[in-house]
Amino acid sequence: KNMGKYYSLCYLHLKLVTFVLNIVLQFEFRINKEQSSFHNRLLQHDLEKNYSGRQDNTNFGSSSSISFPVLQRTAEEKILSSDRLTLERQKLTVCPVIDGEDHLRLLNFQHNFITRIQNISNLQHLVFLDLYDNQIEEISGVSTLRSLRVLLLGKNRIKKISNLENLKNLDVLDLHGNQITKIENIGHLSELRVLNLARNLLTIVENLNGLDSLTELNLRHNQVSAIVRKKTLCLFIFDFFSFFEDILCLADSSSLSDITLDGNPIAQETWYKHTVLHHMMQLRQLDMKRITEEERRMASVAARKEEERKRESHKQTLLKEKKRLTICNIARQWEIQQNRIALVASLNQDKDNEPCQINGSDSYVFPEESRSLNTILSSAVQGLSVLESHLVEVEGDTLCLYGAGALECLDRNWSVQTAGIIVTVSFTFIEFDEIVQVLTKLKTKFPNSVHLKFKETNLVTLQQFNALGQMHRIEQLTVDPQGNPVVSFTLWKYYVLFRLNHFNLQKINGVKVTENDIVMAERLFGILAYVASSELPHYRMLSLFGESRRKQFHYLLEGKGKKSGIGSEESSDNRRNGGESTTRATLSYTTKDFHMEKLEEIKERKTFCQTYVENLVKEAADINMKNESLQKLWPQMFIELVRDAVIEIRNKNSYMKLCLQRITDQKQ
Amino acid sequence: MEDAVSQLLENREDISQYGIARFFTEYFNSVRQGTHILFREFSFVQATPHNRASFLRTFWRCFRTVGKNGDLLTAQEYHCLLQLLCPDFPMELTQKAARIVLMDDAMDCLMSFSDFLFAFQIQFYYSEFLESVAAIYQDLLAGKNPNTVIVPTSSSGQHRQRQSPNDCSPLDGVEASLFYQCLESLCDRSKYSCPPSALVKEMLSSAQRLTFYGFLMALAKDQGINRALGALPDKGDLFLDPAMDQELEKLVARVSGLSVSGPTSSSGDSSNVPVRNSPRINSPWKPLHHRRKMDAESEGSNEETDSSEN
Repeated sequence: KNMGKYYSLCYLHLKLVTFVLNIVLQFEFRINKEQSSFHNRLLQHDLEKNYSGRQDNTNFGSSSSISFPVLQRTAEEKILSSDRLTLERQKLTVCPVIDGEDHLRLLNFQHNFITRIQNISNLQHLVFLDLYDNQIEEISGVSTLRSLRVLLLGKNRIKKISNLENLKNLDVLDLHGNQITKIENIGHLSELRVLNLARNLLTIVENLNGLDSLTELNLRHNQVSAIVRKKTLCLFIFDFFSFFEDILCLADSSSLSDITLDGNPIAQETWYKHTVLHHMMQLRQLDMKRITEEERRMASVAARKEEERKRESHKQTLLKEKKRLTICNIARQWEIQQNRIALVASLNQDKDNEPCQINGSDSYVFPEESRSLNTILSSAVQGLSVLESHLVEVEGDTLCLYGAGALECLDRNWSVQTAGIIVTVSFTFIEFDEIVQVLTKLKTKFPNSVHLKFKETNLVTLQQFNALGQMHRIEQLTVDPQGNPVVSFTLWKYYVLFRLNHFNLQKINGVKVTENDIVMAERLFGILAYVASSELPHYRMLSLFGESRRKQFHYLLEGKGKKSGIGSEESSDNRRNGGESTTRATLSYTTKDFHMEKLEEIKERKTFCQTYVENLVKEAADINMKNESLQKLWPQMFIELVRDAVIEIRNKNSYMKLCLQRITDQKQ
Repeated sequence: MEDAVSQLLENREDISQYGIARFFTEYFNSVRQGTHILFREFSFVQATPHNRASFLRTFWRCFRTVGKNGDLLTAQEYHCLLQLLCPDFPMELTQKAARIVLMDDAMDCLMSFSDFLFAFQIQFYYSEFLESVAAIYQDLLAGKNPNTVIVPTSSSGQHRQRQSPNDCSPLDGVEASLFYQCLESLCDRSKYSCPPSALVKEMLSSAQRLTFYGFLMALAKDQGINRALGALPDKGDLFLDPAMDQELEKLVARVSGLSVSGPTSSSGDSSNVPVRNSPRINSPWKPLHHRRKMDAESEGSNEETDSSEN
């Protein structure tokens, strides 16, 4: 029994072994057969050498053009595989001339060292040509292969796609692993279904117009990051906006079911996958992975969110742009106003669409130009409406006002919350004289505002700072040198400190105020304050102050003469009002317009007073004259009076009669 | 008088409360003291020589400290200071004054307080005179001798008439003596204030030829004329004013005392106590009136009369 088993085992083993051996042998035989036959038929040689040796069963003929080996198969092989010829791993450096095989349909040259495609022009029926893994540097020699459907040129050294003009039936074109930098000359391949351009040096994918049948496009491992939009095929861009548009375009091409883009920089973006999935519902595979319903759904959601976010930031950008343009517009108007350029002259000019410079001497402005500027801008930035001439903005705790029109916002109703936040008020492109008129409103509307900023407000004299005295409170003052010539004066800061000393300013132009500064300010201008208050006649004081002061002063006038009493009373009064000291208050500022009005009044009054005083003088002169005349004439008159009287009463009797007569006459 | 009435009308509500008589007292007191021009419009400030002198004096008193501090300022900045006292003071006058200091050159240059002040005094006080002088100078340069037109008061002028054109370049100026004669006749016939001729003569005697701005500069620097004017102290004493300095020290002490205690104290602080210990501190310097009279006695020359104004 044991023996029986042993034998059967042996037998089995043997069977196995022979079986395996058979297979191996068969293989080997096959390989060897083919190889040996090839080996017998083909001899490797350099192009320079002439070889015309003969082997067994082979017929090597040397062609007239010396360099190429000629290939011939045996009749049996021809029958076995009549339409296919495989010459891979033959260490070929050139394409051999293939004799008598014009009906060949499949030709395989894989894994050789071929540098040029040659000697296959006669194979007019060729459908499948495989030149994978060679050293081909350019596509050539295939122009006659009109039936070619599959062209495999992967892993070569091709730098440029060319000479594919006649291959209109091409179905698969594999150019992976080359050095191609540009996609071109394939637009005519309307039958092409599969295009493999992986592992090349593409930076832009373009010129895929006309590839109407394309279903598979492999762009892996390139530098692809940009896209050109085409009719049926659109590709990807770095920039977000175009990405969307191009995705949408791709969505139209329903033929695309597989896209492979990984290995490209674009595939690293976070939004890559879900944006693609979201917009290309027809995709079945992305980067060689099937797309599940779950993925699709999630992608949709994510893409929508992304869209939202981008839309929001786009809107923000637009708003910022609009704001910037508004401010530019206001600046321009300010410039014109400052330079007083006549609009009349400019209206006669041609209205061209030149952009105007913000340069006072050059710019002419008229309403039309702002509109034309608008059209330029609106085409560049969507959604931009008419540019405003003033701008009011709240940024954090700062209220920014641009342009004179912005001052009206102080009349608006501000919510207590917003108003309470405002700490800084910034004025730009507004005349200081106009700002002065609304300063009192700041107290009521924005009680917490303690910092004033002025830029391009035409502060030219120290006098103007007097107007700030009427504020309720300032802790910080910033006067930008731009548009405020006053800053160029040596003494401006000291004057501000002096005039506004009741505010106890903390900072001027960002620089902390030191005790020395305050002392210096007082030292420089203290006497001015003294003179302005103590040497001014009372009635002048009254006229220079407002209503609220008059009571104080009436009180003061009554108490004139009491020294210490005045001091303490007034200081307590002042503390109640929280106002400025009277010594400074006489230093006031009237805007030009007010001043002009006052001067007009003064002129009128002056003429009146002149005539009035003239009349007075005349009267006085008359009276004086009369007086003098009287003085002159009086002695004479007196003497005559006396003489007449004496003559009259010389005769007592007749005088008595005369008197009686007079009395009776009177009675009658 | 007219102005007093005008002021009365302007402030009638307030004045009616404390009496017209008091108003007039105060008004003329302030005129006497030279404080009536404070914060008044320019047309009033320049109306009479007395007003002008008062203004100059007030400017000196108020901004002496700026000069004392040593800061050099531009014409613009001086103009600002002027505007603090007179809001509508015209820039031209300041510019003209600056031109005198800078000899019509580099108008953006910095000037010292004393230079500016004395030049400004001449320009402001003798504005009309200077205009006439400028015209005379131009005429002399061009060769026309104004003396030929007007009968000169001094007999020596008749011998000096020149028919031939002056062929010297403007840089050389004009001949001093000829120039002086024209000035003399101008002074005699002018109804505006002019510097005393004797002083001018003295000033010109040292020079052979002079330019216009050279002449003005000399005028500005001449202390005799300054004293004759009577508004400003001598150059050497320009920064002296002991009474005001005393007041200033009090003010500064108050301020520095405050700032030591901290800026967060209530705003209506003792710094707001006005310096009204007495209603008026008499200025240490006698009223303009007297001073001029004194000078008149010492100089013995014809002073400008202010009765011709107004």
